[in-house]
Amino acid sequence: MGLLKKKDQEQIQKRFEKEMKDKVNIVLFTTEDSARCQYCQTTKDVLEEVAGLSNGLIEIEHHLYETNRELAENYGVDQVPGFVILDKDMNNYNVIFHGAPFGHEFATLLEDLIVISNGANPPVSADVAEKLRAIDKPVKIQAFVTPTCPYCPPAVLTAHFFSMINPKFIKGEMVEASEFPELSAKYGVSSVPQMVINDGENSFVGAIPEKDYLAEVLKVL
Amino acid sequence: MVFFDLGGNKSSDTTLDNHYDMIIIGGGPAGLTAAIYAARGGLKTLVLEKSNEGGQITVTQKVENYPGFISIEGMVLAERLADHARHFGADISTNGVKNLSFCCDKKSVTLENDRQIDAKVILIATGAKHRRLGIPGEDTFDGKGVSYCAVCDGAFFANKHVAVIGGGNSAVEEGLYLTQLAEEVTLVHRRDQLRADKILQERAQSNPKMTFKWNTVVEKIEGDQFVNNLVLKNVEDNTTENFAVDGVFVYIGLVPNSELFRNLVKTTRDGFILVDQQTLETSMPGVYAAGDVIDKELRQIINAAADGATAVSNAIKTYF
Repeated sequence: MGLLKKKDQEQIQKRFEKEMKDKVNIVLFTTEDSARCQYCQTTKDVLEEVAGLSNGLIEIEHHLYETNRELAENYGVDQVPGFVILDKDMNNYNVIFHGAPFGHEFATLLEDLIVISNGANPPVSADVAEKLRAIDKPVKIQAFVTPTCPYCPPAVLTAHFFSMINPKFIKGEMVEASEFPELSAKYGVSSVPQMVINDGENSFVGAIPEKDYLAEVLKVL
Repeated sequence: MVFFDLGGNKSSDTTLDNHYDMIIIGGGPAGLTAAIYAARGGLKTLVLEKSNEGGQITVTQKVENYPGFISIEGMVLAERLADHARHFGADISTNGVKNLSFCCDKKSVTLENDRQIDAKVILIATGAKHRRLGIPGEDTFDGKGVSYCAVCDGAFFANKHVAVIGGGNSAVEEGLYLTQLAEEVTLVHRRDQLRADKILQERAQSNPKMTFKWNTVVEKIEGDQFVNNLVLKNVEDNTTENFAVDGVFVYIGLVPNSELFRNLVKTTRDGFILVDQQTLETSMPGVYAAGDVIDKELRQIINAAADGATAVSNAIKTYF
């Protein structure tokens, strides 16, 4: 039984046919301990369904988190389910998802797949991109969201787009807040989207325009 | 509630044309219904919705007063309306509008990416957003216990005590939704009875998790890292009290999304667009307005949709 409705499958398939160019790779980490990870299996299932609609353009490399911690860490994954999206040559843009890409975040997933498939040139304005490229210290952007928050996808996408532009120094993470209550509590998340920069050096709430978002990110440098 | 939002097509606008018969700004129930009528009426139609197809209903947990659906999730209704408009051939784009210029027989919309698109007729259906309380502490604790979206943030208040400010349908509906998560929900209302529909009033009053503060307004939101106290004032006897809560959800009405249009069409002092009651044409010929953004009594999904139909039908009669 598929998770995606037939009509949605058709729409995704059509969009992939039209808009995907090169292969992309998803590296997924889950655990078999379903008590510890309520959404590991469904995340794997839905990613496999999505890959199945891509005419072979999306490949999934699946690892168990417990036995591959070092690999996960290399990809910036420290929660399960967690995954990153890499390009055809396994170049890592630090486009990270912690938690299930459900609800409104499913749209984020599709968008990321398409942008990376087209060479990871995200639609970011030239002056913002220039400032992002100039960053030469590590910056981690964690965008805390809930699947039912319709304002959240742009906030996650902005984090991901920023990391695509300067993956050497920027990490863009989606964090599904309700799956990681301890992490959310640690940063005092009670409204989403909330962005936490460099483990709490700065944080801000709300989907805001790209250049204001950048200004918040630059505050930690 | 497991669902999968497929999103729009944010990365490209190459499929858009440069000329349309009708451009509809805003893709909520008014704009999407207008698109259905316009497309079926043979007009080449573009809907510009920069945020979420469906508008405010995407943050409404349940809709129970749209005919034909005893109960439908706001998200699902949003998706159906957008699918319906697309089915009959309307283009829907996630581009935002930067500027408008109306001249003569041609009206142009400049998108946020600086692309310019022309139309013969424009329909403004940009809706409204939540009104803020405008009291001390509201800005300070925005995102630290103050929220305007129960569907988004309700999960953070599991087993906690929250206040909902307001007494209309939205306040009561979202308050009832929050009772599924929170330990206690206190509705704070400035009058001695709710303005919400009777059926909602009854549900609220019989819900064991819901309590009420009547004739009461919030003067101040206080806290440490997070909201922990509201200073409440009883408007009857002017006494104030401290009221301990973990969060506060604000549903006290709407402000129109009309900033872009204020110099172009006539509005009320609050910014609601003035329209001809029969045709829904604004003070600018060939520019119509529909839904929550216009000056009217009742702001519901059903009459937003009706506005969309009325405006398009009159536009077709007059301009095509």
